Amino acid sequence: MKSIVKTTAAVAALVLGAGGAVAQDFPVRPINMIVPFNAGGGTDLLLRAFAPHFAEAVGGDAFVSNMAGGSGTVAAAALAGQKPDGYQMGYWSVTVATVQPQIKDIPYGLDSWTPICSVAASPTVLFTQADSPFKTVDDVVAAVKANPGKYIYGSSGPGAITHLTTVAAFSGLGVIDQMKHLPFQGSGPAMQAMAAGTIQFFGDTELLMTRGDFRPLVVFNNERLSSMPDVPTAAEVGIAAPLNELYLWGGLFAPAGLEPAVTQKLSAACEMAINSDGFQKFAADTSTVLNYRNAADFDPFYRAQYAANSALIDAAGL
Amino acid sequence: MIASLPEALGLIFTFEGLLVLSLGTMLGIILGALPGIGSTVAVAMILPFTLSMSQAPAILLLLAIHAGSVYGGSISAILINTPGTPQSAATCLDGYPMAQRGEAGKALGWATVASVIGGLASAVVLIFAAPQLAAFALNFGPIETFALILLGLTCIVSVSEGSLIKGLMAGFMGLFLSTVGGDPITGEARFTFGHFQLIAGFDLLAVVIGVFALSEVLTRAAASPEDIKPLVAFNGIVLPKLSEWKGRVKGLVKSVLIGNGIGVLPGTGAATAAFIAYAEARRSAPTRANFGKGEPDGLIASESANNAVTGGALVPTMALGIPGDAITAVMLATLTLHGVTPGIRLMSDNPVLMAAIFAGFFVINLMLLPLGMVVSRMAAPILRIKEAYMLVMISLLCTVGVFFVRGNPFDLLVMAVAGIIGFILRRQGYPMAPLVIGMVLGPTLEISLRQGLIITDGSFSAFFVGHPIAGVLAVIAVGMLALPVIRVIKDRQVSA
Repeated sequence: MKSIVKTTAAVAALVLGAGGAVAQDFPVRPINMIVPFNAGGGTDLLLRAFAPHFAEAVGGDAFVSNMAGGSGTVAAAALAGQKPDGYQMGYWSVTVATVQPQIKDIPYGLDSWTPICSVAASPTVLFTQADSPFKTVDDVVAAVKANPGKYIYGSSGPGAITHLTTVAAFSGLGVIDQMKHLPFQGSGPAMQAMAAGTIQFFGDTELLMTRGDFRPLVVFNNERLSSMPDVPTAAEVGIAAPLNELYLWGGLFAPAGLEPAVTQKLSAACEMAINSDGFQKFAADTSTVLNYRNAADFDPFYRAQYAANSALIDAAGL
Repeated sequence: MIASLPEALGLIFTFEGLLVLSLGTMLGIILGALPGIGSTVAVAMILPFTLSMSQAPAILLLLAIHAGSVYGGSISAILINTPGTPQSAATCLDGYPMAQRGEAGKALGWATVASVIGGLASAVVLIFAAPQLAAFALNFGPIETFALILLGLTCIVSVSEGSLIKGLMAGFMGLFLSTVGGDPITGEARFTFGHFQLIAGFDLLAVVIGVFALSEVLTRAAASPEDIKPLVAFNGIVLPKLSEWKGRVKGLVKSVLIGNGIGVLPGTGAATAAFIAYAEARRSAPTRANFGKGEPDGLIASESANNAVTGGALVPTMALGIPGDAITAVMLATLTLHGVTPGIRLMSDNPVLMAAIFAGFFVINLMLLPLGMVVSRMAAPILRIKEAYMLVMISLLCTVGVFFVRGNPFDLLVMAVAGIIGFILRRQGYPMAPLVIGMVLGPTLEISLRQGLIITDGSFSAFFVGHPIAGVLAVIAVGMLALPVIRVIKDRQVSA
């Protein structure tokens, strides 16, 4: 019995010792990269394509694990309480990191993380059916004002980026109180409802919009997109800050309190992985818009997004 | 579509194509038969292997896994009363009693042939009518979906073995369980009682595996030595003779149509289709009195319907580029990885690839028959293992499977509690199928009802004005509920 206790203590000491190892030795163990959604989804595929290049760049091993549920919050809540040793990171989207903790009572928030790097970011677009009578945002505002309560905007769920996009648009245009919101379970059913005419407006990334017969009305970016130069930005149609820019972004987060030297190492590995030929090819094949920010830039960006989205959440009434 | 078929067949009938199809189908059957590993998990597990393949084989492999797993679930449902996947929960109802009677081989024979016919029919529909069906599915808005799910709920009445009251109570329990977690309209957390883990709700698979598989293990473990029923004897599939199909063809056709129709609609799935087809067969089949006691017609209904869904679900996916469920979403993601843009132009931009997918789907369903016989033959020796080891093995598989779905240890707790509660309830004579129906249909029922109320500004009576499809479905639902009552009254009049 005594020897078991001794062995346990020795093993524990070893493990703790390894955890507290200095940054030069990092990593000595495989790094767990957590996808907060089911295997096979968009985030899962992205991280699985990213992981091997990241492992090579950091000079160690990395593996991807999935923990799904609660719009990504189950995984984030599980990671938030963990020891910040750099061996566990999650890939959080804008909604997991900045929206969900502000609308739900969940055990993590603004200060739960050490942001490592951003990987991808796409501006969102408000769109309508291609054969709809609305050609411009002005048409929409006039129609809504003439028929309050008649028009419906959809979303893939309350608090999702699709919801925030429509809220930013109609709240920014001052007509949100004269419209109805219809949440669906995912973008698929919502886009089907748009094709059926149940909803008239939907907002998502450009990538998703190009999959159907849709007409873009306004883009939530700081400048017009080269792929659709005729579509005005939100600022141009009179949507004021902070509602005028909205991005679906995602990046790597470790629990708060990670040693700066380890953060640096992970952040640099992230950059190398993003610039690797293999990951660049993946991004090109899947039309993923890459957007690298290092740890020093990503931290203020994340905090600013947290604050900006709180205005959106208020407008959405969540 | 048809014009591209010759070129598409050239893609399938290659060494690689046929190898992928047969290995994929076989693997799918095995994964589906293992309790706890549902179709979604099976497809997600295989996805990484498709990355190095070319476009057509990659998608065909996933399709083969999907179709195989839906069929495979019936093997464990029939042989050990443990549905491998939620969609074969209805298969247990008549499949296991048949097996207990010593007709396991025959039960699997019916299930196999029904699955093959359901799958083949849905492949034909897919090849010839995908765009038209996709257009028709657009008629199903929230209000129509609500009426359909209402009709689905009436199945509870027909699968309530023994006591209708107990069946209804189990059904409502299932409905209630489905409301735990995030509110689909406002996003608020409901019924979590401050426990953060409940924010994601109860995982359907964890509950299904708990109340069916784990409670079965407990029931067997708790039985006194003299009461223990031996594990079923099984020596391979016995295909039904042609003469035995007499009087069953009409039910088969109806179930295939139900499966196809429900597969096309968003927000439903194979489990819903299997239960609705089962309930309809139980209402209309000439053999309805034997349902629940091991009636082949019940097996035929659920197995042909759930396999018909696999083809139906591809209709919106391929024709509109909109995924109908988690599995078709994975397939679309795979297409993206191979540089094919999913979306409304998917079929017109990639006619050969789409034709290859549809034709390959047909071939997969043809292969189900021989491969199903091979795999269940492999399962036969497993059933001769000593019962105690068998129960441990089932518990272990359930644990692994349930953990794999979401990677959340909390789901294991849910499974264990569901198993214990299921064990107690079954001892008290509560049927478990209604509970599963409630949980499967609950989320869609709620969101379609609340979406409908948003559209009609809170007026429920407006649901059936100007929505003829919804009206018809609601009338049928009321009829389904009234039918047992009418029968009871008639019986009384006859005896009086």
